[in-house]
Amino acid sequence: MPLLDYMQARKLLDKYKIKSIGSAYVNSAESAADFAKGKRIVLKLISEKAVHKSRAGLVKLDIDGEKEIAAAYDDLVRRGRMLRPYKILAQKMADPGVEIIIGGNTDAQFGKVLLVGLGGVYVEAFKDVQLRLCPITKADAVDMLSELQSRKIVTYDGKAEDEIVSLLMKVSKLLTENKKVSELDLNPVIVRQDSYEAVDIRILT
Amino acid sequence: MDLTPMMKPMNVAIIGASRSPGKVGNVIMQNYIAAGYEGKLYPVNPNADEILGRKSYRTVLEIKDTIDLAVIAVPAPIVPLVLEQCGKAKVKSVVVVSGGFAEVGEVKLQDRITEIAKKYRIAMVGPNCLGVMDTRAKSDTMFLPMKKISRPKVGSVSFVSQSGAVGSTVLDVIAGEGFGLSKFISYGNAAYVDEVDILEYLMNDDETKVIVLYIEGIKRGKEFVELARKLTKKKPVVVLKAGRTSAGVNAAHSHTASLAGNYAVQEAIFRQFGFAIANDLSELLYYAKIFASEVKPSGNRVAVITNGGGAGVITADEIASSRYLKMADYAEGTKKALKKVMPGLVNIANPLDLAGDADANRYRQALDLIGADRNTDMLVVIILYQTPGADPSVTREMVQKKITLSKPLLVISVGTEYTEKQAKLLEEGGVPVYDSPIAAIDSLEALFEYAEFKSRSSTR
Repeated sequence: MPLLDYMQARKLLDKYKIKSIGSAYVNSAESAADFAKGKRIVLKLISEKAVHKSRAGLVKLDIDGEKEIAAAYDDLVRRGRMLRPYKILAQKMADPGVEIIIGGNTDAQFGKVLLVGLGGVYVEAFKDVQLRLCPITKADAVDMLSELQSRKIVTYDGKAEDEIVSLLMKVSKLLTENKKVSELDLNPVIVRQDSYEAVDIRILT
Repeated sequence: MDLTPMMKPMNVAIIGASRSPGKVGNVIMQNYIAAGYEGKLYPVNPNADEILGRKSYRTVLEIKDTIDLAVIAVPAPIVPLVLEQCGKAKVKSVVVVSGGFAEVGEVKLQDRITEIAKKYRIAMVGPNCLGVMDTRAKSDTMFLPMKKISRPKVGSVSFVSQSGAVGSTVLDVIAGEGFGLSKFISYGNAAYVDEVDILEYLMNDDETKVIVLYIEGIKRGKEFVELARKLTKKKPVVVLKAGRTSAGVNAAHSHTASLAGNYAVQEAIFRQFGFAIANDLSELLYYAKIFASEVKPSGNRVAVITNGGGAGVITADEIASSRYLKMADYAEGTKKALKKVMPGLVNIANPLDLAGDADANRYRQALDLIGADRNTDMLVVIILYQTPGADPSVTREMVQKKITLSKPLLVISVGTEYTEKQAKLLEEGGVPVYDSPIAAIDSLEALFEYAEFKSRSSTR
């Protein structure tokens, strides 16, 4: 199952009006600095061989200034030797919020399945997730959230809940309409009071 | 697939019927006779002229009647031959009790009999199963002696079990419950008729109000989902799914894949389509019991009436810490009316502690007022029969109230001999009784969740 190119994956999300954070490939420390335009950024190494990016030191968070960017870029290149082929992605630094995971999978027997849970580093630790078969209804989405142990963290106010519910519906639609998408991870999606952004995208086709 | 001839047979052929006590074919014959089955019984055995006082036939082909149900209890290698004869004799349905097929690696032999069943379009349950029981038709293909496993009384719950052992154990326990049974189907290896066919039949069966399902694996995923969409809109299904530990063992390409193993997906499907998920055999029965009472809650507010303060608090704790239920806050009018009729030592609150000297009269007054309270959707009544005032007259009040009340009502009662006797009377009167607050509140919550699901799916 090949990994869909990050920017193509982003394009697919765009098509379903799923918001993801501003990103671009960079091929040098200079181009990374150009992308930053003086703001704080994230650099990530993307390779099919790496699922656990943060654990492997492949995510450089919250970097700032030409010097820091250059050091981070060089370190990624060094780590990347074992992970070829790879690309380096520059992203804007997301504002803080609650990290959730939204995922999709193809069950051999039942077909497309949608997942939501507490995201980021908590995914593996708590495995607090809810699944539903696609396509889901709005009521299914509401149920998924209310059945999470961490529901009070994930949906800390009604507005955040509405955002996630509509996001879940969109992802369900994407999964249902794109037979070729076999797996999908939006992890984390950072949810804030009035909006959200998918910060990392993995789509397998 | 129409399973009516199997569940309501006008006549039954028992192939492999035997004169020797203890043999499977003998036990099945005896059970049919003992249960008072009213249709015609045809023993089939190539070496006998008469079995248990009935004329025996060499083969099913010798019988002049068209057979609705043939129970096949012969050694596995002979099953293909016998089944072929059933096909030629236009038998409408068969239950293959015999083991020795896919469960022991004899996949080819199983495929062979499945082919034969398909060729003649015989509804075949099994092989390797206990078969079917219909309490109204007094038809029962189980090879378990009556004295070792009680048969449930007639009721509205139908129980489907892939496993014969789990099936017979639960059946034995159901026999001790007040709610009774409509149908029991143990379908074993599911070579032809599987859970989808059975559930579809029960969905359309008017005698079945509640379905209880023990399942190990779903064979036809897509068909199951299609059916599940319709099924729970019509009637509640309580499910116990085994096989939790085999989930999620595949090497994962993504976080989602590792968290979405087949077990997790099946559980999600049950949740999505409004099944009540039980985690063990006792929960399966607890849930069945509350659903069998056939009253739908209109909300999540619970009133607790008790004759023991401590038990009331424990129950209130369970309700307050449950996910969807909450303690009711009586309407002002109810509070005033309660204050008027209750003795001074009764504090008007929820839980309502009627005190240790509560008798039938006090229970009735409380039930009447709280039963009519517009802020109360469900009633939990704790009766500790150890106290002086709690006697059979309280039991009678409860049974009376259950008849007139349109809100869910259950009783929590803990104790031994005396209590058990009263609990049995309550259950016979249609009042579900629980011996623990946790079991009671979990069951009530399952009932509420299903009601929510149903009202939600009807407005979609």
